[in-house]
Amino acid sequence: MKPLQRSALLFVAIGLALYAGLSFGCERLLFRNGHSNALFKIATAPVADYDWVILGASHAMPLDFSDFNAYMQHETGLRIINLASPGTGSLYNRFVLASFLRAHRARNLLYVVDSFAFWSRAWNEDRFADAKLIRGTPFAPTTVKLMWDYVRDDGVSPRALLDYVAGFSKINNRDRFQRDAWEGEAQFDRVYRPSASAVTKRIAYLYPDPEAPAVLGRYLDDFARLIEIAGQHDMRIVAVKLPMLTQFRNQLPHEAAFNESLMRVLTERAVPLCDFSAELEDPKFYFDTDHLNRAGLTQLFQRRLKPLLMTSECGARPEAAIRSSSSHSAL
Amino acid sequence: MLFTSLEFFIFLPLVLAAFRIVPVAQRWAVLLFASYVFYGFWHPFNLVYLGAVTLVIYLCGRALAHSKRASLRAAVLAGGLLVVLGSLTAFKFYDFVAGEIEGANLIPHLGLPRLGVTAPAGFSFYVFSAASYLIDIYVGRLEAKQQLGSTALFVAYFPKIFAGPIERAMTFLPQLWSGLRSDPERIVLGLQLIGWGLFKKVVIADNLAQMVDHTFSIVAFAPAVELLISTYFFAFQIYCDFSGYTDIALGTSSLFGLKLMENFRRPYLSRSTAEFWGNRWHISLAHWFRDYLYIPLGGSRAGALRRAINVMIVFLVSGLWHAGLGYGVGWTFLIWGALNGAYQWAGLATRSLWRRAGEALPRVSGSATLAVLRAVITFHLIAVAWVFFRAASIHDALLVLRKIGARLSELPSLLAIYPFTVEQLTGFGLIAFLLGYEIIDERRPVFQRLAAAPVAVRWGAYYLLIFALLLLGRWQAKEFIYMQF
Repeated sequence: MKPLQRSALLFVAIGLALYAGLSFGCERLLFRNGHSNALFKIATAPVADYDWVILGASHAMPLDFSDFNAYMQHETGLRIINLASPGTGSLYNRFVLASFLRAHRARNLLYVVDSFAFWSRAWNEDRFADAKLIRGTPFAPTTVKLMWDYVRDDGVSPRALLDYVAGFSKINNRDRFQRDAWEGEAQFDRVYRPSASAVTKRIAYLYPDPEAPAVLGRYLDDFARLIEIAGQHDMRIVAVKLPMLTQFRNQLPHEAAFNESLMRVLTERAVPLCDFSAELEDPKFYFDTDHLNRAGLTQLFQRRLKPLLMTSECGARPEAAIRSSSSHSAL
Repeated sequence: MLFTSLEFFIFLPLVLAAFRIVPVAQRWAVLLFASYVFYGFWHPFNLVYLGAVTLVIYLCGRALAHSKRASLRAAVLAGGLLVVLGSLTAFKFYDFVAGEIEGANLIPHLGLPRLGVTAPAGFSFYVFSAASYLIDIYVGRLEAKQQLGSTALFVAYFPKIFAGPIERAMTFLPQLWSGLRSDPERIVLGLQLIGWGLFKKVVIADNLAQMVDHTFSIVAFAPAVELLISTYFFAFQIYCDFSGYTDIALGTSSLFGLKLMENFRRPYLSRSTAEFWGNRWHISLAHWFRDYLYIPLGGSRAGALRRAINVMIVFLVSGLWHAGLGYGVGWTFLIWGALNGAYQWAGLATRSLWRRAGEALPRVSGSATLAVLRAVITFHLIAVAWVFFRAASIHDALLVLRKIGARLSELPSLLAIYPFTVEQLTGFGLIAFLLGYEIIDERRPVFQRLAAAPVAVRWGAYYLLIFALLLLGRWQAKEFIYMQF
């Protein structure tokens, strides 16, 4: 071997060793600052058995903001883990559920359905490559294997897997010293001031390909597979549509067609759909165009979610389920 | 394909491997194929534009080489230039001008047709290279060795296609004809340049861009201090973005043993705007305008008035050429060009005064303090012009300058109490590092210093650079500003 080649090899070897050290350090840092990432929650879950696992996109995330999950657990006496992730559709949620079920169990699955997540690959395949999600996901060989399956079978970009394995997004994380919390959590107690332009912008963001209904079937199939996986683990599934302001709800594109297709999938599999979308019409219950704030969520919980969590039924009377009269503010 | 993308870091070693495997005589073919893959990666249709420009200059070049009749040669040159430069002008300005004419409402209900197409990335650059090819053959500066392959590679060569340097065929083609060879020294130099270029782009430029983009999108609401900071940041953002691209281009080309021309020479150390534009900033474009516009117009040989007019023409055309570079097509670019032309006028008008003052006070004229003062003033003049380059409209640019100007006397106290964010402090830190590096580099190139340094120091510097890229770089594939037209 020529001296130059030897030097080059040595340079690369030292570089790789330094990279490995840095990567290890970033992984440790993740365990110090991790918070809202679904895979992080699974890796650090205090128990193996849960009564409910919650999946969905960002609309389901407030159920775990601040102390709300603890509040729900206290009120119901149930063990609940919220694995919702921002901007994620059925494909990513199936991946999360599969990760969860490797070492954990749950009796019920609450899936918060959002139509936007069924209309675009931006909320499905592409989400796997999002640096923000990857950098919050602890490294585990089993996750590598699972992600590889999604690359091979479901059209997820190999770049996502490469990034995850190399740990690049963790090293290149400019918020490395901050808590890995979704930005919405800081606004949980805020009250929304209605804005038509904000709604229009938000809809345009959530539905980047409004004229591409062909993908709906693909993601409904993914949802059906998710239901299948849950069924194989004896989980009872309940689908939920969370409240939205009329101004927002009325602008959702193709919503009627979506509802129809969704109902077909759910009915075939005997999965109930609890449609709470028209439940809270006052902007004071939201912290932005479409996310419930603490007041809204407390209302919804007392009126609807609590009975649902306790009976697994949509239409249960609130009083039948209420065991505790303690309010959230008492926590 | 972007220089900062994962695809490029896979593509480059593959091309280098293929380049080294094939015999020297066929290496140009590997580079040509790679260039078409590189350029067509995003939009394969762009290859049609590239092919058309190549064919036009190749055929015109052949005609020029074989024709002896002066009138025919002039007609062929004019035809070739009309096609390549005319298409550039049409792509850049037709829709904009049509909109402006309609907007002026001189003829009620006038509805002009629109092209509805924009030129592909890098068009401004390779069209200028193509034009120089034709002119150089016409005037006899370039030997008309007619080979379609080498002409095609000259136009399409991937390291330079998106944002230059605007190469001249008379320096590029002889390197091809003599056979391309890469050696370890050039590879090391190439990798150093690529590393430094990436640092300037993804660490400095793209970090500064976050703040600049935000402030320039809300100029009406941004406080004066923030506008001032963003004006400074933009001056360094555009420098690091563009010179970062150039460094990567030069470094990549060096891997293939092909030397491209220097395009930047530490421009913010210039002591006059004439030095900035003449010798330090976008040198390949400045030399293009000098050789193909300024000198043919008469240059400085036809009297002071004519010279002043020529200078202004060059800067106005330069302003027009820059229109569309990431910030749309607007009158701001014309003002940017005019302002820089006006700086040259002021420099020409006061040149003898400064010379006499220098002769009268030789100590002062040679002092380091004056040199620094001149560099600072030059930088600020250039930064003021950059405001027109960056702002979305003339109104916005004037608003930025008015808001800063109105608070000028209070700025020191405002800066003292301004709550700088971590990002802003990081930005200033990166700028200080860059200026420190360039001051050292001005005295003796850093690469030369590194070559002479012990291995531990050299490798330490390389690792620092690599890990700075990993830790601080913004790798979300933000396009280079200058490749957007």
